[in-house]
Amino acid sequence: MEDHLLRIIRRLNRGVALLAGLVLVACAMFVLADIVLRQVGSSFGGTDEISGYVMAIATSWGMAFTLLELGHVRIDIMRGRAGRIGRALFDLFAMMALTGTVTLIAYKCWPVLERSLVNSSRANTPLETPLALVQIPWFAGWVWFALMAWLTFMAAAMLVLRGRFSAAEAAIGCFGEDERTGT
Amino acid sequence: MILAIAVALLGLLALSIPVGIVLFLLGFGVDQFFSFFPLIRGLGNLVWSTSNNATLIAIPFFVLLGEILVRSGVATRTYAALDRWVSWLPGGLVHANVATATMFSATSGSSVATAATVATVAMPQAEKLGYDPRLFSGAIAAGGTLGIMIPPSINLIVYGFLTQTSIPQLFLAGLIPGIALAVGFMAITAAICTLRPSLGGDRRTFPFPEMLRALLQLVPILLLFTIIIGTIYRGWATPTEAAAVGVAGAILIATLFGGVSIRMFADSILGTVKITSMIMLVVIGASFLNFTLASAGLGNELQALLDGMGLSPMGLIFVVVLIYIVLGFFIETLSLMVVTIPIIVPLVVAQGFDPIWFGILMIVLIEMALITPPVGLNLYVVQGARQSGKMGEVMVGAIPYVFAMLIMVGLLIAVPSIALYLPSVLSGG
Repeated sequence: MEDHLLRIIRRLNRGVALLAGLVLVACAMFVLADIVLRQVGSSFGGTDEISGYVMAIATSWGMAFTLLELGHVRIDIMRGRAGRIGRALFDLFAMMALTGTVTLIAYKCWPVLERSLVNSSRANTPLETPLALVQIPWFAGWVWFALMAWLTFMAAAMLVLRGRFSAAEAAIGCFGEDERTGT
Repeated sequence: MILAIAVALLGLLALSIPVGIVLFLLGFGVDQFFSFFPLIRGLGNLVWSTSNNATLIAIPFFVLLGEILVRSGVATRTYAALDRWVSWLPGGLVHANVATATMFSATSGSSVATAATVATVAMPQAEKLGYDPRLFSGAIAAGGTLGIMIPPSINLIVYGFLTQTSIPQLFLAGLIPGIALAVGFMAITAAICTLRPSLGGDRRTFPFPEMLRALLQLVPILLLFTIIIGTIYRGWATPTEAAAVGVAGAILIATLFGGVSIRMFADSILGTVKITSMIMLVVIGASFLNFTLASAGLGNELQALLDGMGLSPMGLIFVVVLIYIVLGFFIETLSLMVVTIPIIVPLVVAQGFDPIWFGILMIVLIEMALITPPVGLNLYVVQGARQSGKMGEVMVGAIPYVFAMLIMVGLLIAVPSIALYLPSVLSGG
């Protein structure tokens, strides 16, 4: 069952990440179009503001994908010296810390959105963007990240309890198959 | 407070908790133990204001640009072209490794991506032509580190963001040290291979018309670099806009070279989202920690610490350099940078050092961390790409280049204008 669950959320987040990436590409093209327009003396206006919203939304939705691809950097210095069971415990502990923290972040993001909803706040810019409009998808991304973290944590914990250590390591270990994660 | 944070930081990192999460946890700790006000109320706002940022979107753009170029086969052509131009030097193809890495640094903002690209292209040649695997692979690992120094650089964007320093100025400042390092790498290679010719392969010369034809292959990349950097410096575009232009340019180049497919494009996008979210979790965590530290009065405490140590400004820089070299052995590079910025940069700036200059110095130190074991990401990337031989060979091969970096550190400290000259003359941008 855990395998099934992990497979589903991996596939789901691949789709989400692809979508988030396409939005980023679209934003790049939008910025480009604005530069071209500026040369002929016109402009959409507000590209900076929109880029900022895109960045906030795309990254919050991409977080879970990075988690499932083992992309969030960890320092492997003690873990790498532990045995199979030791590594599994390190991984579970790290995953627990992440899940708890992300849940708290998502929880603390709510008041930001709530205030925008209650006050119908608008951005202090020429576009006067209704903030809730962009903060709802941003907040949802963090909730999604927390939810995915819980599911992954539970699936991995189950794998460890059943003694399937290599499957657990594939789910929440330190390094993904594609190692180009740093900068 | 400083000691408690440093200990907690290293402890949590050693537990292999993701670096971004460690930063949040430290922030919670500072809030709990050292602050009078409940700072955690500001968490949501901070997450929003950090990620809702038009400057940081340059990061995914530059990552995407690099991903597209890397996957489009442009690297292979570039490598072959540079081989025609630099392989007459003692050390032969090793110079092509450094030169290709330099070229890719100039378009990609990432060291690991640069090293991975060059390694995949170059490694098969090493075996075919009988090069010493140590020097050959060490040169790739070292050359790859230039990715974070020669603009555009994602690490410099992050540094600029966290320290409120001008990113165009940082980019300018990185140019001369970056090129000097590349030249230094080649000089060291040539020196080693003159002394021990067996380490390099055959020196090869090519007929001039062939060299000219090869030059043609380099034009697109050079053009892309000129456009990206040129527009930023001329003040025509912000780094974000230049990055967007770069993405379009990369797609165009990839199309012209026939490397575009739906699959390749999808992979590039997925790679971009993965790396961007990884960076952003760390960056948001760092801003939160920054915020809690500042609110808890870190500034005063740092000043007291400094007065207590009785260090001269130069003494401070030497201590800082030492800290980075030691931490660099163990901590991955972006993390090393981000976790130290909140504490070390205020210290250094308070002593009257230029934050732009220090950013460049820090980048050299972090480049060194990329190729020093046991945690040197580029070493692993190169080893992963060559699929034979021992890890130790890459480590040994990288040592000469570590010396080049140490020399650069010394030079930057002795002659700060290596970094500050360009920003001061072209400060209009």
